Amino acid sequence: MYEIRFHGRGGQGGRMAAEALALAAFLEGKYAVSFPFFGAERRGAPVRAFTRIDDKKIRIKTQIYEPDYVVVLDETLIETEDVLEGLKPDGMVIINTQKKPEEVKLSRSVRCATIDATTIALETIGRAITNTAILGAISRATGKIGIDAIEKAIIEKFGARLGKEAGEKNAIAARKAYEKTIVGIAKAGKKFEGKKQWLPTVDELPLGGSIGTLQTEAGLVGIGSFSENKTGGWRVFMPVVDEQRCTGCKICWFYCPEGAIKMVDNKAKINYDYCKGCGICENECPFKAIEMKREVRI
Amino acid sequence: MNLKARKMVATGDHAAAYGALLANVDVVAAYPITPQTLIVEDFATFVDDGITDAEFIMVESEHSAMSACIGAAAAGSRTFTATSSQGLALMHEMLPIASGLHLPIVMPVVNRTVAAPIGIWCEYNDIMPQRDSGWIIGFIEDNQEVLDMVLMGYKIAEHHDVLLPFMFGLDAFILSHTVEPVEAPSSDEVMKFLPSYKPIASLDPDKPMAIGTFTPPEYIQEERYQTDKCMRNAKRIIKNVTKEFADVFGRNYHGLIEEYKTDDADVILITLGTVTGTARDVVDELRGRGIKAGLVKLRFFRPFPVEEVRMLIERENIKAIGVYDRSVSYGVGGPLYIEVKNSLYGYDLPIINFLAGIGGRDVVKGDVEKMYKILQDVKDGKTRKDIVWINTRGVKE
Repeated sequence: MYEIRFHGRGGQGGRMAAEALALAAFLEGKYAVSFPFFGAERRGAPVRAFTRIDDKKIRIKTQIYEPDYVVVLDETLIETEDVLEGLKPDGMVIINTQKKPEEVKLSRSVRCATIDATTIALETIGRAITNTAILGAISRATGKIGIDAIEKAIIEKFGARLGKEAGEKNAIAARKAYEKTIVGIAKAGKKFEGKKQWLPTVDELPLGGSIGTLQTEAGLVGIGSFSENKTGGWRVFMPVVDEQRCTGCKICWFYCPEGAIKMVDNKAKINYDYCKGCGICENECPFKAIEMKREVRI
Repeated sequence: MNLKARKMVATGDHAAAYGALLANVDVVAAYPITPQTLIVEDFATFVDDGITDAEFIMVESEHSAMSACIGAAAAGSRTFTATSSQGLALMHEMLPIASGLHLPIVMPVVNRTVAAPIGIWCEYNDIMPQRDSGWIIGFIEDNQEVLDMVLMGYKIAEHHDVLLPFMFGLDAFILSHTVEPVEAPSSDEVMKFLPSYKPIASLDPDKPMAIGTFTPPEYIQEERYQTDKCMRNAKRIIKNVTKEFADVFGRNYHGLIEEYKTDDADVILITLGTVTGTARDVVDELRGRGIKAGLVKLRFFRPFPVEEVRMLIERENIKAIGVYDRSVSYGVGGPLYIEVKNSLYGYDLPIINFLAGIGGRDVVKGDVEKMYKILQDVKDGKTRKDIVWINTRGVKE
């Protein structure tokens, strides 16, 4: 049995990729299981999905903690979390990036395959949705699953959802990625602070979990603790305010679901630490004073 | 409807919807709730695509969903719905009406924790409080069993010696949102196994009839006895239908319980739900290390397999029994533990309750291994425990 963990952002299709991989393995006569991380998913938030593949029936129903392969759909994630967490020592990471494996820096040196899935997706499908191109890279990098089965699974799964033509285009994207995947070794050296989680004992946990705000060794817990979770990193498009047009009507301030807009000198000011880039403010502004712009991160 | 036999890679929710499609249900009335929503969404798609001519009724709550199902079933329709957690709690008032009127409705319940605190993950505190509702209650190990259970469910529930509604629990996310291979038989094969529903009486404008009317004490006690008898009959019918299913479709679910490597086991663990699959792997590994571990998968909580559990104990090889529960009856222990103890009244054998996976916490192999380790220690007289909270911070195991 081998296990694969997908890292992506909500809306990038990591779950669909994980399920399509399971379908491809099934089409090759194997037994395969796939599931998303059992959590609250939101567009833009870091999310995970999983696939287990074996020659015989898989009975185990636990989550996956020590994968054989890690797949990263969104390059920005390797900066914010240790994607190698739990990866088996001889495991491999497959990353959507323009870099060569040797140029990728991770928490340790590890077998690494890279593919510029975003460019392939833009050229082939016309959208920066990389969840099918990455499947071609998985086929090439792991050698465990044939590209023909990957193509068939994509046509079946994505075709059912998006139509025959779109399914075929996605299959072509996978084939192109298969041909362009580079396999090598990533270098070590990236440091991550160990992820901390507040795990109180029965006696430490306030009755019924009723807490105001609590300072714990893992940071703030309870009311207001979300201030420590800077969700600005989820953004793909950022709202930009044209102060000339802003009349200070506060409609954007009222509608912002994150409370990320403040009125300063009667003008809307966006707090980019928390703005998730949902675009509601742009939609609601009656004076067209807010525009969503493609964000460029360095 | 002419559906060919096919193999698919499907979620548990899809398997449930596809089961209802194959069962050729007439009416579905449902209200969405995570993680059940995919079931009714998928079924609504079947209706929209014209694959089935079933009536899909949108309602304003789970209470109304069950009310509509009761009306449809009373009119002689094969009726289906699905729910979860708070939705099942809201439905609670209508459940004994379905059983009291002997309406064989089939309902998957995606087991999800009931608030407070609010959560969306797996726990059995939604389905266990329905214990005395007069519904048959089953549990599921994998997605294939979800589809198969819908088909067997109608066959059992509609049997004229039973005529009771049928719910079964499938674990939130662990099955509901997980895809795995599922074999679906053709609609022709299903039609042979499960012909149309033949009610003993149904509402008909041409032959007016009153059901569930105001009833004084002169009659209700007898009606309760009837329902009790139906539930007892269900044990026999479940065994027969499971066997017939195995003969037709080749998948044997062994009736009310399934034993796994119990023949020479000195300790056994009784499980329900998806933990069973993980426990199978653990038993194999323990056997590889020379430990005589056995497993019993409980498939039905109502009717409860009292005789089957007793027969296990009659075998002299078993020295200790563990009972896994995914919910707790506060101050007493897990509901399955209570039932097993009740079944084994008069037998002098240690029965240990393991509470794990509450609120959807993952039950990993190590947790199950721990259960078997404790059972070994109990067998060897090193320790004697009643209720063990596995993997609970600050609580000694």
